[in-house]
Formats: sequence, C-alpha cells, structure tokens
Amino acid sequence: MKQNEQPEKAARRVRKVENQKARHQRHEAMEALKMLDALRHDFSKPLSSMDYFYELFEKVYCRREKLHSAKPMVGTLCIQIPYEIIYAMDAVPVRLCNGFHTNEQSGGEFMPAKSCSLVKATLGMLKQEDIPGVDKLDYLVHPTTCDQKTKSISMVEEIGYDVYHMEFPRVKESEESREYWRRTIRKFTKDLSKDLGRKINRRSLKSAIQKVGKAQVAYHRLNELRKLKSVPILGKDIFLITNAFFFDDIERWTEMTLAVCSEVEARVKEEVSAAGKRSPRILYTGSPPIFPNLKLPYMIEQADGVIVADESCSANRLFNDMVSVDEWFMYDMVDAVADRYLKGCTCPIFTKNDDRKRRLKELIESYNVDGVVYQSFAGCQVYEMEQRSIQQQMEALGIPMLYVETDYSPGQGGQLSTRIEAFMESLKVKNRRKQEG
Amino acid sequence: MMINKIFQKIQKADIRKFRFWIQLFLFVIFVYGGYVAIDVGREIPVFSCGYDREAGGVCYFMSLQHQLARPWERLFSGASLGVLSAFGVFILWFIVFNKAWCGYACPLGTMQDWITALRKRLRIPYSTYSEESFKSLKKIKYIFLLIVILFPLLIGAGLLDPEWRGGFCKMCPGRLITPMFVGDFSQWSIDFSSKTAIFLTTFGIAFTVVFFVGSFIKKRFFCFFCPMSAMHYIFSPFALLKLKKDGEKCTKCGDCYRVCDMQIWDIADDVKSRDILRDDCIFCLKCVAACPEEDALQVDIVKWAIFKSTKGGFAKRMGFEDETE
Repeated sequence: MKQNEQPEKAARRVRKVENQKARHQRHEAMEALKMLDALRHDFSKPLSSMDYFYELFEKVYCRREKLHSAKPMVGTLCIQIPYEIIYAMDAVPVRLCNGFHTNEQSGGEFMPAKSCSLVKATLGMLKQEDIPGVDKLDYLVHPTTCDQKTKSISMVEEIGYDVYHMEFPRVKESEESREYWRRTIRKFTKDLSKDLGRKINRRSLKSAIQKVGKAQVAYHRLNELRKLKSVPILGKDIFLITNAFFFDDIERWTEMTLAVCSEVEARVKEEVSAAGKRSPRILYTGSPPIFPNLKLPYMIEQADGVIVADESCSANRLFNDMVSVDEWFMYDMVDAVADRYLKGCTCPIFTKNDDRKRRLKELIESYNVDGVVYQSFAGCQVYEMEQRSIQQQMEALGIPMLYVETDYSPGQGGQLSTRIEAFMESLKVKNRRKQEG
Repeated sequence: MMINKIFQKIQKADIRKFRFWIQLFLFVIFVYGGYVAIDVGREIPVFSCGYDREAGGVCYFMSLQHQLARPWERLFSGASLGVLSAFGVFILWFIVFNKAWCGYACPLGTMQDWITALRKRLRIPYSTYSEESFKSLKKIKYIFLLIVILFPLLIGAGLLDPEWRGGFCKMCPGRLITPMFVGDFSQWSIDFSSKTAIFLTTFGIAFTVVFFVGSFIKKRFFCFFCPMSAMHYIFSPFALLKLKKDGEKCTKCGDCYRVCDMQIWDIADDVKSRDILRDDCIFCLKCVAACPEEDALQVDIVKWAIFKSTKGGFAKRMGFEDETE
C-alpha cells in the first residue's frame, strides 16, 4: 500500500525550482551577510558611525537595492579610470572589481585554473549581469593594465558587453608614457562625452576634481589617525569604507567618512583604543581585499593584530595621489587628471617597482609598523613576482613579512588563520624582547 | 605658540597672490625707482635694465661687461679692486635670496608672467618642450654667459673688435622692452654704423620679438635662455635660501612638475638629491605649494624652514577643504 502511495505524493508536491539568477543572488547575499556579521559583531568597541557602511553593503548585496537613479552608470574595471572625468559628465562610476567566491566560481569557466580570483570573480559577476547597486550599465571601461585584465576584455565582449578599451602604458618613468597616457585620457574624455551624449566643461570638471579631492581629504584625515600610538580604528573598518567608495554616491560617502572621522577623533580624546596594548601594528600590501573577501584583514585583527596602513588598490592607492592643476581650463585639467592615475601609481604591473618599495618604507616609518602581511591572489603573477624583491627589502629594513597566497574560497580558513596567528605571536615576542632588551 | 600659529598660517597661504604683489612692488622699484630717487646699485642679480633711465637698480651684467673689457694690464692690477668689490656686492645680494630673484624680483620675469596671465585670459593652452629639445635648448644660456664674460675679456686683450663692447646688452630683450615702460622707444632701432653693430642690434630686435611670441605660448620662455640664471646656478650652492626635497616622502606623483613653469623633471623624479634647485629653477615655489605630501618639499633659510609642502595647505589651495571646518 505504502509503496503505491509514494509516487503519487511526489507528483502532487509543488516543486519550486529556483532560477539561476535567484540562486546566485541568494549565494551572494549569504556570503555578504556572513562577512558583514563577522566584521560587525566579532570585534569589541564598534563605532556607531560605521553602521551606515554596514547597512550600505547589506542594502546593495542582500536586499539588492539600487543606489543611483536616472544618471548614466559607467562601469570601471580598474583603478586607473579617472573618476573626475566621469563625474564631470554627471555620470556615476561604479568599480566592478569583485570579491565574491560565488562569482569566482562562475567566472572560472573563462580562465585557466591558476589565475587571479579578482578577474575570475569580475567575469562571473558580469556573466550573471548582477551589478551591485546598479540597474544596468550604460558604459563599460576596461584598461589594459595587467595581462589578465587585458586578456579578459575579449571575454567580457564575448559575454555580450560593449567595452571601451583604454590603453595604459606599462612603463611609467618615461616622458613618452606620460604623453601616451595623457592622450588616452583626452580621447576617453571626448569619446565618453559623445557616447553618453553628455557635455563636459571647465566648470563641471573643476567641481568634479574638487568633489573627488574632498573625498580624498576625508580619507587622509581618517588615515592620519592610524598613526597614533593607540590605534583608534581597526583596518577592517577602513577596508569597508574604502570598498564602499567603489559604488556609493561620492558626496554621501565623503559625509559619512567625515562622520567616522569625528567619532574616531572623539575616541582619541577619550583615549579609547580599538586594539590591544600589545597588538602588533601591521602594514597590509598586495592583492586588494575586496568585499566580501575581507577574510585576511578579519583574520589579522582577530589574531590581535591591527592594520595601521595598507598599500593596495582597494584602499590607499584609490586615494593617495591627488590632482594638482596649474591653469583651471580644460586643457590643463584633463592632463592633470591623467597624471594622477599614472605617475604616482604603485601597481606591480609596471617594469620597475622602486616607487612601491619607497612607499612601503615610508608607510613603515610613519605608521610605526611592526610587520608586513603580503597577500597575493594565487595566479596574480605580478604580485607573486614582486614578492621576492619586497621580501628582500623588508629583510634589509628588519621588518618581518608574512607572504600568503590566497583565493576567494572559504576552505583555506583554518590553515591560513593558524599562520597568521603564529605570525602575530612572533611579532609580539619580538616586541617584548625589544622592550626588555 | 604665536610663532607656531603664524607658521601654520604661512603654510596655507595662497602663494600666487603673495607672489603677484611682491613682483608688482619690485617691478615698480626697479623700473620706476629713479623717479623717486631710489637707487639700489648697479650689482643687481636680475635683468633690471640700465638702458631704462629711471631704473631703481641696474643689472649686474651691464657693469660686469664694462669692467671686464678693460685692457688687461689694468684689469689685472690694483685698480681692479672695484671690479672685485662690485662682484662682492652682487654675491651678497644673490646669496641671501638665491634664485628667488628670478621668480620674485626680475622685471623681465614679471613681464613674462603678465603675458602668461593674458594668455590665460584668452584661454589659450600653453606649450611645452619635448624632453630632447629641452635638453639641447637649455645649454644656450651657458653660451650667452660665455658671451657676457669671455667677449669683454677678449676685447681687453685686444683680440676682439671693441664694437662688441656690452655685446650681450645689445642682444638682450631687456634693453628694448624695459625703457618702453618709461616711454622710451629709442632702443627699437638698428645701428648701421658697423657690421657688428648691425648684427647686434638686429639680433636684439629679433630676440625681443621672439621674447613676446615665446612667452605668450610658453611659460617663462626667456628664463630658459637667461645667462643670469646660469650665473646664479654657479653660486647657488652657497646661498642661504634653499629649496630642499625629502625623497623618501615623495611619491613621484608629478604634481610639482605639472605646475613648474620651467618644466624641471628632477623636481618630481629625483628622489635622491636633498638640494633640488636646478639651473632652470626660478624659485617661484609653485612646486612647494602644489605638493600634497607633508614635508616632501620645503624652503629653508639657513637651517630654518619657512615654507613647506603640507596636506592641509595643498587641500586649501586646490579648494579641497571641507567647508564645515
């Protein structure tokens, strides 16, 4: 009797088949929420001004709300696409570099097994047409920065996007490269204006430069506070703030960052520290931590370290160099904007990495760093290759460095956190010896 | 405390306005000083031309060429104590202010800045030299310096026609332009008395035309060829005012190079030299004002810093400061 009943029941049961997009969004939301909860609740003394940023990420990745309306959306696939030019046309730049494991998996089909997680995840996201905070993209700009990004342009086109190819030089010291890049940006300015049907003029570009400048100043003000002896803000919060800059409304972002500044400054007055007394001060460098792949900053600070400085394109490098204009006219402003994105850049894709080494040294000295954590995404050849020279430089400076190769998979967790804990312990021992001796 | 506050204020100052007023003031002194009996001497290390009959102070090259052209037996005798003392006065003037003479005091330099202001008003972009032409053209000022020093000596030795006396002055655009400010246009003529005179005065007119056209399209066009600038550079290591750079703090972003009227690459790209003053520098300090890195560039007098690059100052000058503060 029972045997006969079963198929009947099965037939009657209404089966809800989740479509692929919904499934993907559910996975993303799960991933995002897990990281947000960890960042929010696993640390003591949370800053209340950070709530805005936690909610922003939840809004974008969990509730799928859209942030911008009625303005053209310009997707950017690297740090080198000038925000100022896009804002000057009253369009919104959205940086698409992605940090989701879900996307890494779905983007994996395009790339060789051992290739950059970031590039894979970005391809995956574009394939799912699931752009954070945005309904649809009106424009997509892809610079020829590293090899993997350059080669992925044709894959993005294969998926069905129109991509603007932005040519980027790989030598930055020469006068030729400066001129080449300036020409690229001048052309981009013209092309974007034509394609979007939006005008750019002296006034709009000046106000865009100042808008971005104000955001940079806000970031610098916050960053300065990390130099203090008792560090008033954790690195995980900074990464979340700088990651929000990828897609948030810039003026609101600046306002909210200044709110964090005020709260942190008040903390400094009350002598409240976000980290322990003996927490090793860490400089983070290497492949960019992009939400929700903030596992490394999370692990470092869970292991009682505190990230006081960073050198990566999802944080410091986004804000570091500023535009300086001599004559406030289009001819000078566009070139000035171009220079900002080339000359000071410490990306490892360039032939030489002297500037990156000097930046690291300067950060180590002015932020009083105890140790360096260098992350390279497995398959990110340029960071992997530079590791050796940075290691040598750190040895010369007497600063211990931990090199970790990671990807976006959560599986690595245990082994990685053990290494990080051991590194933090060794730094503490070293500090104690220094104090005693 | 008070001094500290004043120092902080200076760091946020609008260097352009400051410079504009100093330049105007010194322009009036040098070009019109004679009307109110101002005379600061004939050993001034800028192109304040002696052909201007109301000059409040005269370019050292005028007297230098004159003095060096003495017959050698007189030049190398006790009678030349005056030559040495004039040189001493020149050095004293120079050592205090270094090349700031160029950026703040030179009437010819100031005129070029005004021509630049006119160009800006017309919204015409400026031009720059390519790296190669920069490197070859910059040698010209040393050739002119040779003319200033060597030619009079050759005249004194009897090896060169005395027609070449004051040769550089005759070639210099300052001779034609400066007197115009007091209504004297008589220098705009060709002297047909000899072949040399024709050459020198024609060169002078041509150079002056080039001066106007050049400085309209290229910032501080003439300074690039100025023998006084070359002369300064020889003595600048001993100057009290210094332009210094801390290469460790430099990110090589090139903001300083961007605003540099003289296109000096080293200001951005050299991260080793402490003394970053180069021969083409006019010490205008635009680079220090345009540097967003704390203490990367600074101006010292003896060993005290008087003006430094600061994040706050940069932000203020660029209009990046938050209004609420």
